[in-house]
Amino acid sequence: MPAIRRSGGFVAFFWQGKLPDPLDSSFAEALSKHRFRTIENAASEEVSVGWVTAGDPTGDSFATEDLDADPGIWLRMRMDKKTLPKKWLQIHRDVAEKSRGRRLSARERKELRDDLMEKLLPRVLPTVNFIDAVLFAERKTVLLLAGSKTVREAFGKLFFETFTIPLDRGDPYQLGLQCGLDGAAVKVLDRLEPVRWPSDPALAGRSRRSAPTQVEDDEVEEVTS
Amino acid sequence: MKPKAQADPERHGFLGEEFLTWLWFRWETQGGEFHLPGGRVVGVAIDDFLIFAAPSDDETEQTLRHGLPTRTAEARTALRQGRRLKRARLLLAEGSRNWSATLDAATMMMSGVKLPEDSQEVESDGDRNRERSANWLLLLEIVQALYGMFLRERLKGDYLQKGAEQQAQWMAQE
Repeated sequence: MPAIRRSGGFVAFFWQGKLPDPLDSSFAEALSKHRFRTIENAASEEVSVGWVTAGDPTGDSFATEDLDADPGIWLRMRMDKKTLPKKWLQIHRDVAEKSRGRRLSARERKELRDDLMEKLLPRVLPTVNFIDAVLFAERKTVLLLAGSKTVREAFGKLFFETFTIPLDRGDPYQLGLQCGLDGAAVKVLDRLEPVRWPSDPALAGRSRRSAPTQVEDDEVEEVTS
Repeated sequence: MKPKAQADPERHGFLGEEFLTWLWFRWETQGGEFHLPGGRVVGVAIDDFLIFAAPSDDETEQTLRHGLPTRTAEARTALRQGRRLKRARLLLAEGSRNWSATLDAATMMMSGVKLPEDSQEVESDGDRNRERSANWLLLLEIVQALYGMFLRERLKGDYLQKGAEQQAQWMAQE
């Protein structure tokens, strides 16, 4: 059985609301409703995203022992993508243009592409990607062990479709809210502006300030308008 | 010239950059040992990769890698210009466990993470996964606790007169 990786990147997400107990069958059922569905024989370019487990990459089963990674729950998203190889398309276009003795029109190129997709795509295997995440239910936190925008968006969408709970990405603001700040501190956080550190005039060519300052609201409006 | 932080779609991205720069300040001026809530003690150091944020859209980022970039004249110059860290490779330790990771300040995303080695007590796949799961969580907890420490100082009413002023003096050093 594969292992949770011990290197790579991650992005933290937080949620509010209640998830099914990961050790309860309802949790596995929720995953199962949004399980991965194969596009191996599909005749169109498409992407399929769904849940699987490390123990069963098909998405047919969600055994508790495959999910258990105490203190976390090991989630695995599978993303398959089927695309028509560009080089094959180019080869067929070149042959068609040579036999007709002229360049294909836009309409002819589209017809050729549609024809090739119908013929070739059932024979093309999709690219397969497994993306792991570790969910910590008590902390309402899930760590997605990947960083690309496409994967982040696909994961957020799949999570929402599965549990009807949106995820908040752990950026500096959200992470701040997770730090147990009181109401007054959160209000300050909401309005916070960057510190403008004093700069050495010899290096920066600007007049030296005697103390750090914050960028003022009216100053910002002026320079950004 | 637009201030960079205002131009960013991530409204609080600057705060992550201030946090990363504060970590460096604390590491250099008070040592790398941080006493976190709950009695936890963690070690933090900045490793061999730094990117300084561009102060505005018109200016360039500066990348320093290999060796000891925090000790270079280029790094000191960037600090004296009031530049904040945009990204840095961190070494983190708690007890016998060590992590290394590159923190992207504006998003707080981590890349190039290396978790501690699997312990010798690991006897099965299940044990290994549980240990790694715990180590991923610990890394988040450490970073979050350090960030909380920074925020509590940063959100004080007198921050500009005290903490920021001390950091300004450190940044101005030759």
